Amino acid sequence: MVLYDSATLGGSCSGSSSSSSSSKPPPLQQRQQTQQDIDGLLAGAGYRVRSSELRKVAQRLERLETAMVNSPADLSQLASDTIHYNPSDLASWVDSLLSEFTQPPTCPSEFIMDPETNQTVVSDAWTTAEPHMPQVHQNISYEQQSLNNQLTVDNQLTVVTAMEEDSGIRLVHMLMTCAECVQRGDFSLATSCLEDMQGLLTRVNTVCGIGKVAGHFIDALSRRIFQGIGGGSINGGSAYENEILYHHFYEACPYLKFAHFTANQAILEAFDGHDCVHVVDFNLMHGLQWPALIQALALRPGGPPLLRLTGIGPPSPDGRDSLREIGLRLAELARSVNVRFAFRGVAASRLEDVKPWMLQVNPKESVAVNSIMQLHRLLGSDLNRNSPIETVLSWIRSLNPKIMTVVEQEANHNQPGFLDRFTEALHYYSTMFDSLEACTVQPNKGLAEIYIQREIANVVSCEGSARVERHEPLSKWRTRLSGAGFRPLHLGSNAYKQASMLLTLFSAEGYSVEENDGCLTLGWHS
Amino acid sequence: MVVPLNTWVLISNFKLAYNLLRRPDGTFNRHLAEFLDRKVPANANPVDGVFSFDVLIDRGTSLLSRIYRPTTAEEPQPNIAELEKPVTAEVVPVIIFFHGGSFAHSSANSAIYDTLCRRLVRLCKAVVVSVNYRHAPENRYPCAYDDGWTALKWVNSRPWLQSQKDSKVHIYLAGDSSGGNIAHHVALRAIESGIDVLGNILLNPMFGGQERTESEKRLDGKYFVTLRDRDWYWRAYLPEGEDRDHPACNPFGPNGRSLEGIKFPKSLVVVAGLDLIQDWQLAYVEGLKKAGQEVKLLYMEQATIGFYLLPNNNHFHTVMDEISKFVSSDC
Repeated sequence: MVLYDSATLGGSCSGSSSSSSSSKPPPLQQRQQTQQDIDGLLAGAGYRVRSSELRKVAQRLERLETAMVNSPADLSQLASDTIHYNPSDLASWVDSLLSEFTQPPTCPSEFIMDPETNQTVVSDAWTTAEPHMPQVHQNISYEQQSLNNQLTVDNQLTVVTAMEEDSGIRLVHMLMTCAECVQRGDFSLATSCLEDMQGLLTRVNTVCGIGKVAGHFIDALSRRIFQGIGGGSINGGSAYENEILYHHFYEACPYLKFAHFTANQAILEAFDGHDCVHVVDFNLMHGLQWPALIQALALRPGGPPLLRLTGIGPPSPDGRDSLREIGLRLAELARSVNVRFAFRGVAASRLEDVKPWMLQVNPKESVAVNSIMQLHRLLGSDLNRNSPIETVLSWIRSLNPKIMTVVEQEANHNQPGFLDRFTEALHYYSTMFDSLEACTVQPNKGLAEIYIQREIANVVSCEGSARVERHEPLSKWRTRLSGAGFRPLHLGSNAYKQASMLLTLFSAEGYSVEENDGCLTLGWHS
Repeated sequence: MVVPLNTWVLISNFKLAYNLLRRPDGTFNRHLAEFLDRKVPANANPVDGVFSFDVLIDRGTSLLSRIYRPTTAEEPQPNIAELEKPVTAEVVPVIIFFHGGSFAHSSANSAIYDTLCRRLVRLCKAVVVSVNYRHAPENRYPCAYDDGWTALKWVNSRPWLQSQKDSKVHIYLAGDSSGGNIAHHVALRAIESGIDVLGNILLNPMFGGQERTESEKRLDGKYFVTLRDRDWYWRAYLPEGEDRDHPACNPFGPNGRSLEGIKFPKSLVVVAGLDLIQDWQLAYVEGLKKAGQEVKLLYMEQATIGFYLLPNNNHFHTVMDEISKFVSSDC
């Protein structure tokens, strides 16, 4: 049996008998001094354990091992059926596994090092039986997933030929130079950069790789320089156009499918046991997310609940009521699978214009609030009033939803400095375009690219209220949502597995799901 | 025998989690493994003087590698175009690193290996290329070696990795556990090819054989590792029906190949005194010596597996010192 002790500086290990004998004092940056501190070395390995709890966790691990050895039948169940959550929180993970064992483990004598006397002390049994505390799901909980498309990192700028490599790199250099000029306000230099880049573009393959994404960034810079930052024609695209582009983006690559699938799974679980449920969709579009949920609710043991769906979307011009049309189609589907269903459309050009009373939430229902890439649009702050995000989060909270599902782009495109934003976006969208390339060729791809191109244009060429693509990283959303009174609901290994399997069905090589402190992210080659 | 508390927690956690992943029928719970594995993204923003980025080396096998580079004084903050900027020093060691995990676990982006590779960069002033080779049991022998070989060829052909002194890439192969095994076999493949490997660094390399050695019997189950799990991993990696005297597992065994007269790189082999497979690792060292190859053995008597993952023990520092000397001795 291996013993352990808590000496922090490695002094407990006896000298090594190796063929060389150099020794070096251990580094000073171990942060195990104070009780409150997370063990810095374990943190580097991806685990969050408080130094003061190390011993307790170690004991639990020993218990778990004994339990696993003593009941192998439970072990295989543990391996296959148990849902694991948030492995970084080691203490909770071990506890949750321990609670799966049906009998209390019978512990043989255990040897502990007495830190005072440095002598072994034998104890016959555990001093206290610690009951496992089930995770309490309160009324308010949120769950967060985000799309991780890479950013401060990696890049797939590899281009095919050496000559292209050169031109590709030069293009990137020039893009950065141009962006820097723009930040400094030197528009004449920026303009000549633009001209040079247009020239370079003719010598680079613009069908894929850096050439393709560079073209979009050059366009966006042009817009900014020549048309100003008011957005103009980018945001002027009609709601109808936007829906088409969105639909093609949905088809061409797995990001939205992953988002819908995972959110639906969480909503389904949250609605378990509830007979009156109400889903509020912050961006209905073509309602692509909901047939699967309706079907799943139809099939749930015990029968489907009464399902109300409130879909928010922009008002449609020219007399159509597209929200209602989508609602009707969903209602037909629901009827065909015997799910009692009611739909309500809320037309609003901006999410911040929606007031909670418009949603007509019934106090007896269980509510799920579903936001797919909408919250970031509320981050533009108007100095005159509360930032819209706080207002909206606060009324969501006041609805007391059973669950809130949030999907966002995992990117840092809302920094105040233009050059920083530009650089991040270049990384992020290069990778995104590459990931799109990897998907099977479809007619959708071209329009899907336009969808992405519009995002690029918004990030790069707009400011103020016109700039709505204000993506922020997961860590910021975590803080913001916690601050608004939401508690994280961790996505577990079952959701992870389902999402991974879905990916293999829908997409090409390179996509992968990762678990990050309770959230799932979908990334490409990283 | 005592190990630091946090090391004990880390390795025990792995041990128990891995118990859940290995199924008795030889299959592996890959989804749960990927869910539980703590990963970190690459980071082109330097942290403690090291930045990293991922590169797709082979699209056909989705072979990714994570490249770690030291920042230079002139270029403290590389931008997106500078990631593959040519190395500027006279001699820059390029260490191709194969992570451990008994061929089935971990990845190049696992937190523990990301941390280790960053240390190697700082320690050796090297570029480190960490290869995300394909896992067993889904991909058996020789996939991991094939991937290692692909990575070696790729590294050797990068103009931006050539040292200024001789316009060649100064390559070392390194790895722990299964990674050490891979390093040996990739070096073997390099022999006829004209690609120069300057040295092999094997940390607790994973070797074995049909016979049950004394250390295996003595240490079975005592320090995190059991014979049973070792057997499972070999069954998962080796071709079906093969036993542990297959040369992949037992390179100097009955089916092994003699390295006498062969130009094999010098080796630094680290063996932990509490590792149950040490007899095989020592036999490996003997095998190299008998063939007249240059090899240095570091036997760390009180060390358990994984001691090099956390810098909280003397073995760690001893080994890091030796690695740094090993890599710099060609300047």
